[in-house]
Amino acid sequence: MMIEALIGFTFVAALLVLLAPDEWAGRLAFAFSLLPFAGALYLWSGFDGAGNALTGGDIAYATQIEWLEVGGRTVSWFVGVDGISLPLVVLTTFLVPLAIVSAWTPIDARQSQFYGLMLFMEANLLGVFTALDFFLWFVFWEAVLVPMYFLIGVWGGPRRKYAAIKFFVYTNAASLLMFIGFMSLTFALGDTQSFALPEITQAIASGGLETWFGISPDRIAMIAFVAMFAGFAVKVPIVPVHTWLPDAHVEAPTPVSVLLAGVLLKMGTYALLRFNFTMLPDQASALAVPIAAIAVISVIYGAMLALAQKDLKRIVAYSSVSSMGYVILGLVVFTEYGVGGATFQMVAHGLISGLMFMAVGVIYNATHTRMVGDMSGMADRMPVAVGILVAGAFGYMGLPLMAGFAGEFFIFVGSFSAPALPYAPLFTALAMFGIVIVAGYLLSAMQSTLFGPFELETDYEVGPAPFHDVAPLAVLLVAIIVLGVAPDIFFEMIRDAALPVVEGVTING
Amino acid sequence: MTAVAASIPPQWYLLLATAVFCIGLFGVLTRNDALYFLMSVELMMNAANINFVAFALYYGDLTGQVFALFVIALAAAEVAIGIGIILVLYRNFGVTDVTVPTEMRW
Amino acid sequence: MIDVFSYVPAIVLLPFFSFLVALGVGKHLPKGGAFGGIAATAGSFLLSLWVLATVAGGEAANRTLYTWADAGGIGPTDIELSFGILIDPLSALMLVIVTLVALLVHVFSLGYMNDEGETGLPRYYAGLGLFSASMLGFVVADNLLMAFMFFELVGLCSYLLIGFHFREPGPPSAAKKAFLVTRFGDYFFLIGVVAVLATFGTAQFAGEGSFPALAEAALNGSGSVAWTPGGVELQTWLTVVGLLVLGGVVGKSAQFPLHTWLPDAMEGPTPVSALIHAATMVAAGVYLVARMYGFYALSPTALAIIAFIGGFTALFAATMGLVKDELKQVLAYSTISQYGYMMLALGAGGYVAAVFHLTTHAFFKALLFLGAGAVIIAMHHNEDMWDMGGLKSKMPVTYYTFLAGSLALAGIFPFAGFWSKDEILYEALVHGLNDPLLLGGYLMGLLAVPVTAFYTFRMVFLTFHGEPRSATARDPEPVRWNVKGPLTVLGVLAVVTGFINMVPVQKVLGVEGIDLLHLWLDNHWGGIDGLSSHHYADIGPYSSGYLVGGEVGTVLVGAAVSLGLALGGLLVAWRLYNVPSPTEHTAKLGGIKDVLYNNYYLDELQVWLAYRTEDVAGGANTFDQGIIDGVVNGVSSVSLFGGSRVRRLQSGVVSQYATLLTLGLVALLLALGVSGGWFL
Repeated sequence: MMIEALIGFTFVAALLVLLAPDEWAGRLAFAFSLLPFAGALYLWSGFDGAGNALTGGDIAYATQIEWLEVGGRTVSWFVGVDGISLPLVVLTTFLVPLAIVSAWTPIDARQSQFYGLMLFMEANLLGVFTALDFFLWFVFWEAVLVPMYFLIGVWGGPRRKYAAIKFFVYTNAASLLMFIGFMSLTFALGDTQSFALPEITQAIASGGLETWFGISPDRIAMIAFVAMFAGFAVKVPIVPVHTWLPDAHVEAPTPVSVLLAGVLLKMGTYALLRFNFTMLPDQASALAVPIAAIAVISVIYGAMLALAQKDLKRIVAYSSVSSMGYVILGLVVFTEYGVGGATFQMVAHGLISGLMFMAVGVIYNATHTRMVGDMSGMADRMPVAVGILVAGAFGYMGLPLMAGFAGEFFIFVGSFSAPALPYAPLFTALAMFGIVIVAGYLLSAMQSTLFGPFELETDYEVGPAPFHDVAPLAVLLVAIIVLGVAPDIFFEMIRDAALPVVEGVTING
Repeated sequence: MTAVAASIPPQWYLLLATAVFCIGLFGVLTRNDALYFLMSVELMMNAANINFVAFALYYGDLTGQVFALFVIALAAAEVAIGIGIILVLYRNFGVTDVTVPTEMRW
Repeated sequence: MIDVFSYVPAIVLLPFFSFLVALGVGKHLPKGGAFGGIAATAGSFLLSLWVLATVAGGEAANRTLYTWADAGGIGPTDIELSFGILIDPLSALMLVIVTLVALLVHVFSLGYMNDEGETGLPRYYAGLGLFSASMLGFVVADNLLMAFMFFELVGLCSYLLIGFHFREPGPPSAAKKAFLVTRFGDYFFLIGVVAVLATFGTAQFAGEGSFPALAEAALNGSGSVAWTPGGVELQTWLTVVGLLVLGGVVGKSAQFPLHTWLPDAMEGPTPVSALIHAATMVAAGVYLVARMYGFYALSPTALAIIAFIGGFTALFAATMGLVKDELKQVLAYSTISQYGYMMLALGAGGYVAAVFHLTTHAFFKALLFLGAGAVIIAMHHNEDMWDMGGLKSKMPVTYYTFLAGSLALAGIFPFAGFWSKDEILYEALVHGLNDPLLLGGYLMGLLAVPVTAFYTFRMVFLTFHGEPRSATARDPEPVRWNVKGPLTVLGVLAVVTGFINMVPVQKVLGVEGIDLLHLWLDNHWGGIDGLSSHHYADIGPYSSGYLVGGEVGTVLVGAAVSLGLALGGLLVAWRLYNVPSPTEHTAKLGGIKDVLYNNYYLDELQVWLAYRTEDVAGGANTFDQGIIDGVVNGVSSVSLFGGSRVRRLQSGVVSQYATLLTLGLVALLLALGVSGGWFL
């Protein structure tokens, strides 16, 4: 019942914050958001899962209650966590309080609604990462879009309406595609009477797919794979369906960007791992080369785009595209270090990109501009914030002993000699070049904004950032370093859950 | 009376109903005045009524006649509302021409 | 019995704690946390000496201390990634060098930074602490992955310290360049690390299951490797892996063509330059090759490439040093050149010679940089040698120590540099006599000798001799004990370090036991099997050839030639610049001067490449915004346009609706009728 309590409490908290007066909505939301985090830590401390939830491993904190019946299939309230979802649950509950604190300065209108929506989104995100029934999962999946739409559309920058609608329509259309793909799978699984993901996964693994409307099982599986991949690819996002992301990030207020980059993107990779790579490993393996090519293109192309940007937020946004490319590469190689590293990278990137967006936000709070050419020498005025930003940037570049390096390195080790991917060394080496480009654009951007003589046209004095702006940055930085020094904190359980995925694939040739 | 009515083959009733319906339809499509509209709609409804009654007779079943009664009642209500709408139309636009008010278009 | 090796982590952690202390509470400490750093490095130095003594007593350590990540012994990539320590004669020696130089640099910084009223001192000492800690972690690393991690951290620290004066435009730019260029090399290194892990399943340096041992076994047929890429022969693949790792070495050790960051790095405070050049960052590359020499020795191609790069860099960088006007610039190019010598030695199979030169160079280059720092203090931070002159009498301690360092750098008998450089050239010569490519490296190295002597003494004469050429040179600022102390220590070392390895004397006179370093690195007093110079010579590809007179004759001829060339260079410099008011003679070089002055336009080339990359990025951005996002916006526009057309049906005219309704009904009836077969 822990997970229900977690999600339920977050919903109630959202409601209470929504009703609270604006003056103390922020403080209240922060206090409330600490409870889910404590709950997640409690889940973690008592975690007794083993193996992968979908392939028949022991699911921790599982509850399965029949809910309704749709088209002859039972829909149940089925939640639980395994080694892949628990780190993401912890990540979500960890990031939300920090994002809320980072909102205290920039959000100055309709606070109670803002924080209420943030908590509402957190509740749905927790649902996405814990739901093990497709129907339930899909409800949460779609429900995440709603608060996000409003958060961008109401509190966003000048082009917020465009960005919000683009985000909503793009990802929603992708959801439709994914939905069709998944449904075609369930229709072809004649004998399965439920939407429970473990049941469906195991039915597919044991050859339960039947001919449906004259389409052979293999073909259905392939169609489903492609449709779901395309659908999730938008969410991740992968080149070429990434263009909603920079717009959304640039327009979204800082705390929303933090959650967007930190958690929402992980929904896509999480779903890819759960649906495409766990349920249909053979299709993934058959398409390994094109998928790896897309991954490498995402890495390099995303990094090149980041190099061309002048807006600090756009730089970080595009580099997210680049980082997510690594995750895809890690998934497609089907090795423990690959899949495990991809999952680890989800958490690591969540923390690091969160830190970067937050730090850029802190600078923006002081300067009211994010353009590279508009300011210089910020290190002179806000040394602590800039120091942490520099540290975070190095984390983004994959500096060892920080979380990003661990994730990327695991992926590289896993993919370099992967038997499932032809030309694996070549793909890996190409993808690795991302670490040079990322250093290029982050260092250039830092040089021109943070260093040199202080220059900024304002009619007020730019001083150090307030404590509550800097504190979340410091907390994140510590978390990143801890995770980089001791990746086994998460990697051990991730690896445990990733192994069945790796074993599920048949390597041809 | 019943015998006479029953001796007429049903096709004729159908033809009559079709003719009345088409007259009504013609009225709706060609006239612009709302009052003509109302009358034409009345014609079309009664064409349906003819069908109801004719088939009721043909099958010896009262359901059709009951339906016709319902339709007549409905038509009365419709006229009441329709005339109400026309009055409002006239008050707002000064005409009963239906092509003038185009507020609800794109 | 106290196990000294369990204190090895403390050697690394002490400077790390000083980093934390300086960063956290440095503001409230006297001298901005300098004493913490001095205490920490002194502690590390003492521990290192103890370790050295223990190793001399015949003990060594190869221990895994911490598992960073582990695949759990299952699955296709079952690789354990761990941290550990490897203490053998090589790392013990390097520990002493690094901690000693770090300690002296800390002390010197009191004079260079604190006394000069610099701001941001806690940041500076934090950087120094982290820098030392990273380098020491790299030195004790027992596997390639750990080495890579600390290698990267060293890069970070160099970024932080080179860019220390971040309020000026120059340092941040130089810091960026240093990190980026070395990062480019590290990219290949990273592939190399991953390739080593994939190929051997381990990245350990030493022991039975280490990757050099596995590679050796696989090559002579008594073992096999876990994986090679399909269709690539093992020997070729090992060479490729070796060269990939070498990428990192070329970047960090500033070898051609990735040397361009190093002269720019002179923007950093001078003590930092001393640390970077003598003992930490730049030394890291060469140390890495020495550390995994058992692997490189297996690949003749890789060795030849290393030797050639080294020889070429030695000459190439030396020529650029000829025309520089700034004191630190000359030193920077000399560093590149000297590391070229070390690479030449490594490539030529002169493992001991390379380590020897690494040692002597660490001392005399630290000395030269600190001496330059003293001159810069005296000159109120003016680094132009043409504004100096005549400082000899004003600052004798600095002058004589600097002179000792210069004599060592120029390779004049009997200073430290002579012995090590001579041994490098000797190794390259005897091995090169059977290998033309190596001989090419030797000749370039030999050519660099007079050039080195020339630019070194041009620097000495311009700085210290002649008449003062500016007001500050006439009345220089005095320096204190904290500057003179480190200079004296290093000055002595620059004179005497050479005596630890007097191979020529041994060979000529036949006195046994004075080639201490040879014995040391050959596990004479103990060490780890498979990590001895003897073993490397056994598996290496080289055989020795001799000139007339056999071994002794070759030694004498080689030494005489290099010493003669060095003296020649010195004399030319004497003639040209040891005059009361020297003038620039560079104009005589004509067009060559511009080429040298502009570093063969390699910086321009790299800047050009950077700009072209930006152009490509700009193109990609246009493509992304125009085409890819254009399609997305296009879909939206088409939908909106379609909607705007279709909605015109909603004309608001009721009659038209009725017409449409009727037509629709008729069409529907017709369609149903046709499909239902009514009209047939």
